[in-house]
Amino acid sequence: MASTPLLITLATTLIGAGLIAYVFRNLGYNVLLGGVLGGVAGALGTLFFMLPVNFCMFAPDPEARYTIELADQIFGLIMIVLGLLMTLWPLRWWAIWWSRRNDPQYATQQVQQGLFKSRFLPFVFLAPTLIILALFLYYPSLDTFRLSTLLARLDSQRTAFVCVDNFTRLVNDTGYFGVVGTTLMISLAIVAIGLVLSLLIATMAYQPLKGARIYRTLLIWPYAISPAVAGIIFLLLFNPTGGIMNYFLNGLFGIKIGWLNDPAAAPWAVIVASVWKSMGFNVLFYIAGLQNVPKDLQEAAAIDGANAIQRFRHVVIPLLSPITFFLVITNITYAFFDTFGTIDYLTGGGPVGSTTTLMYQVYELGIVNKDLGKAAAQSIILFAMVIGLTIVQFRTQGRRVNYGA
Amino acid sequence: MEREQVTPVAAPAQATRAAVYRAPRQRPLWLPQRWYAHIILWIACAVIGFPLFYAMLVATQSQAEVFAYRFLPGTSFADNWNIVINNRHLHTYMINSVFIALAVTAGKTVLSLLSGLAFVYFRFPGKWIVFGFVLITLMMPTEILILALFRFVNSLGWGSTFTALIVPFLASATGTFLFRQHFSNIPAELSEAAQLDGATPLQFLIQVLVPISWNTIGALAVIQFVYVWNMYIWPVLIMRREEYQVVQQGLATLIGGDAALVFGPMMLGAVIASIPPVLVFVLLQKQFMSGFALARDK
Amino acid sequence: MFAKRLIALVVLAALLLALVPVAAQSPVDVKMWIAFTDNRLDWAQQKAAYFNTVFPQYNVTVEGYANYEELFNATALASEQGALPAIVQYFEVASQNALDSGYFKPIADALGDRTEVNGLAVNLDDFIGPVAAYYTIDGKFNSMPWNASSAIMFSNMNILKAAGVDTPPATWADVEATCEMVMAMDGAPEFCFTWPNHGWFFEQWLAQQNAVYANNDNGRADRATEVAFNNAAGVALLTWLRDMKDKGYLYYSGAQGGDSWATVDQAFQSQQTAMAVYSSSDTAIYTDTGRQNGYEVVASFMPYNQDAEGGWTGNLIGGASLWLVDGLSTEVEDGALTWLTWLNNTENAAEWHQITGYLPIRLSSVDLLNTDGWYDAIAANGPSQVWMDLQIVQDAQGSNWFEGNPNFRVAADQLAGSQQTAATAGALLGNFPGIRNIVTQAIDTMLLTDGADAQAILDAAVAEANVTLEEYNALNAE
Repeated sequence: MASTPLLITLATTLIGAGLIAYVFRNLGYNVLLGGVLGGVAGALGTLFFMLPVNFCMFAPDPEARYTIELADQIFGLIMIVLGLLMTLWPLRWWAIWWSRRNDPQYATQQVQQGLFKSRFLPFVFLAPTLIILALFLYYPSLDTFRLSTLLARLDSQRTAFVCVDNFTRLVNDTGYFGVVGTTLMISLAIVAIGLVLSLLIATMAYQPLKGARIYRTLLIWPYAISPAVAGIIFLLLFNPTGGIMNYFLNGLFGIKIGWLNDPAAAPWAVIVASVWKSMGFNVLFYIAGLQNVPKDLQEAAAIDGANAIQRFRHVVIPLLSPITFFLVITNITYAFFDTFGTIDYLTGGGPVGSTTTLMYQVYELGIVNKDLGKAAAQSIILFAMVIGLTIVQFRTQGRRVNYGA
Repeated sequence: MEREQVTPVAAPAQATRAAVYRAPRQRPLWLPQRWYAHIILWIACAVIGFPLFYAMLVATQSQAEVFAYRFLPGTSFADNWNIVINNRHLHTYMINSVFIALAVTAGKTVLSLLSGLAFVYFRFPGKWIVFGFVLITLMMPTEILILALFRFVNSLGWGSTFTALIVPFLASATGTFLFRQHFSNIPAELSEAAQLDGATPLQFLIQVLVPISWNTIGALAVIQFVYVWNMYIWPVLIMRREEYQVVQQGLATLIGGDAALVFGPMMLGAVIASIPPVLVFVLLQKQFMSGFALARDK
Repeated sequence: MFAKRLIALVVLAALLLALVPVAAQSPVDVKMWIAFTDNRLDWAQQKAAYFNTVFPQYNVTVEGYANYEELFNATALASEQGALPAIVQYFEVASQNALDSGYFKPIADALGDRTEVNGLAVNLDDFIGPVAAYYTIDGKFNSMPWNASSAIMFSNMNILKAAGVDTPPATWADVEATCEMVMAMDGAPEFCFTWPNHGWFFEQWLAQQNAVYANNDNGRADRATEVAFNNAAGVALLTWLRDMKDKGYLYYSGAQGGDSWATVDQAFQSQQTAMAVYSSSDTAIYTDTGRQNGYEVVASFMPYNQDAEGGWTGNLIGGASLWLVDGLSTEVEDGALTWLTWLNNTENAAEWHQITGYLPIRLSSVDLLNTDGWYDAIAANGPSQVWMDLQIVQDAQGSNWFEGNPNFRVAADQLAGSQQTAATAGALLGNFPGIRNIVTQAIDTMLLTDGADAQAILDAAVAEANVTLEEYNALNAE
């Protein structure tokens, strides 16, 4: 059906027009203007994702190199919805902002600095940053999208367009869900264990003790160790045949753990190495945060008869929530991406894939197996997960994080 | 009761007040104050330090000594040193890493200062769009894009050159935000005074802003230096010429997949390769903290 | 004004002219990438240094990569940058990829009808049978053979003898019986048997049972389009390995592919296992380490499945060869050919064999080692420090090499006794390195998953491998 793309674009144009017209009506603006703007935005949102792939999931391939299934069409619909969100949501947001721009209640509270008067200079100052971001972050992102629709190998010149097969084949791939599970498990453990231990250590180290500076230095230095070196050092400790860890465990408890060849234990080897490496950073921030907890609050709680643990739970922890929030985000990023070097040296993703995270999988696919298309597709899913997590974090931040009174 | 606005990071002066709130308690004279904290910290430092301590011991041992689990310096330090430095030339990789880390750190600081200046001290059309453009890159980890980045950098003809390790990392959303936040908190009188004096924006940046921004610059420098020094997957992909390879790649030549895992040289290499970033981090600890404290104000 | 410019121009021109002879004299750089970082890299670098003194017009440099897999990846990455060296070492299973990639030029084409380069005789007829057979495709040498090996077994005879076993076991059943005795004795080692989970050994054990790895006669008759290793031979192997592991005999480190070698070295050399199936490439290190640490190491044929039809059929050759990069300038190409020819001369082939355990790939080098005069011949050929430092070499001085060092003839004997079938020729297969990873993962799953079923695991691995092979062929087959 040659007209399917046209019908889809038309439908989304109407949806966009309707939604934005409704927004404009509520704001008391010209409904017709809203309709036109919304229609354009709706069409653009659809075309943003659909033009590059030529609506392939809604029409059979003339050369039959790929087949279209229900999963492909659902995926296409999701892309269209995402495209619409990308254009319509900012439009709605902008319209609302416009309506309130002169309302003092919503005026920006930013300190107004003395401004230099030039329209040209700021762009000169920003140009290097913007150009580099555009060339080395935005362009590769778009290229990753393009690659994800191809059958492409690192060692061959030819490529073939396969629509969204690289994505939809994952629906039936239980191995992939295993990798997602492994990633989430390892990341959760790194973040949770890392933060709890760091907070515990920080509550000791922030106090004005004799030698506090020395303690702090001795606690935080692993932050500067590279993930790869962490992998190398823990390879020495966890080695099944000569590792000191098992030597101790065997001597003390008579047990030996297959740190690197038991799928139940190997993730813990990665987690221990990663927590060790990242803890310094967390401790540093918690120490700073704890030093900042107002003492009058603690005192008030003490007068109320609260004991130390209660005080800590009900007063200190809530006050630390902005730092915790910040650390959760940096630790998730660390667990998702920076553990790569540790895993590469320590376990190589094994045994039985028990330490293969999404990032490691992308590397295995793209470099080791030289399958650029599938690696790109999985990169994009990983990308979507990062954005999703960030949005969830930002939305919960407003509700949970306690910034004091 | 009046409460102050709580900011995530410290004004250090408050720390000393903590002692006031401790109820006086009987303790034997030989026990230091807060002995429990000392014990826990001792244990924590020991546990955290053990992997590196053991790695240092192994760095001096021969393979047989490693398997004998001797907690004493071994006899093979000279042999291991010979392998690491004379055979595998780890120091040449380290020199490359120092150069790249310094170049990225310096370049990124300059570009971040400039964009911070533009965002805070200028009003220009499309500011929010430009700001959004920078903001979104916080969610684009380079790691996800490396395959496409690899192809693009090669197509520029930058494959296996220092340019490929430096230029893509010169722009930084983190740095831009750090300085934007920092500048926003500087009293407006400063820039007004500078304008009255007829200073150009660049003069203002260099003569006024930079001198009061050393902590932020230091914080950014620490992060960047450690980040670049520890970069692993990107150099592995892009840097094929041995004479330009970086330290994390040099370490890989000590591991040797096919060769037996000889732990002595491996650990010696790992320890040597860790000295510069650890040194930078420990020495600039204070700047690191206060730089972030300012950044996370408000 | 004009005069000044003129003088400046003349001076500049004179300077440029002065530079020309210098440029003409500076040696031609010939870079080689190999997949070793141990004493084999040292050896190659020492050889290159000597070569550069004999042929001052060339400057050969050798760079080492951690293992074959990493070098294979690095080559693909470097070709994207046009940053390939002159010579790359590719492992045997990458042959199809090497041919398809277009990175390389067949050695035979580069040589043309020359029988010598820079005064060195090429002598392609002098290579031993299995090597010549493996590296000639359609009757011509595509790459220069260098390190050729076979899979053999090393036994720690101190342990075996203590358990009452005098000769290394020959079959899987014998291995199991030996292990029963070893593990039952007082002071038993922690494990009895191990091997690196590298795809090569799976291929060897398949060939031993005369089972093919891929269709179209292992890809030798026509381009392979499907893999076939989920046959009875594959199932028998996985089942046996699992059985050995369940009985507590097998040590499996969990490392796969290129990372797996080192873990086996470590287990064997710390005497935590009595036997290790390994590559003959490390015969020198295994033998020498044993001698230094007071245990006797004996090499023997790779144990085979006694229940297979026809028993032992034969083993594969393994290792890697040196490929000449396409598109080099004539000087560089000639330099590369000169270096390759020199590196493979009789004395160097013999020396290389002695410091590693790789096959002496020249008939003339086998002959040389069978005389008493090999030491002086090698010593006159710019010997490497690695060779001079090796105790077993010094000890064997003045006598027939193989008689004093029987471990070093096991691989050659094993290949000589092998029947020539499609299975023992080894598979020629697109994306073979990628498919190897699928196989080692299957073995990994077999050994570490409760209630694993060998047939089901191999079926799944074959299905996965076939998808990647189909995609590879879609992009590469004519």
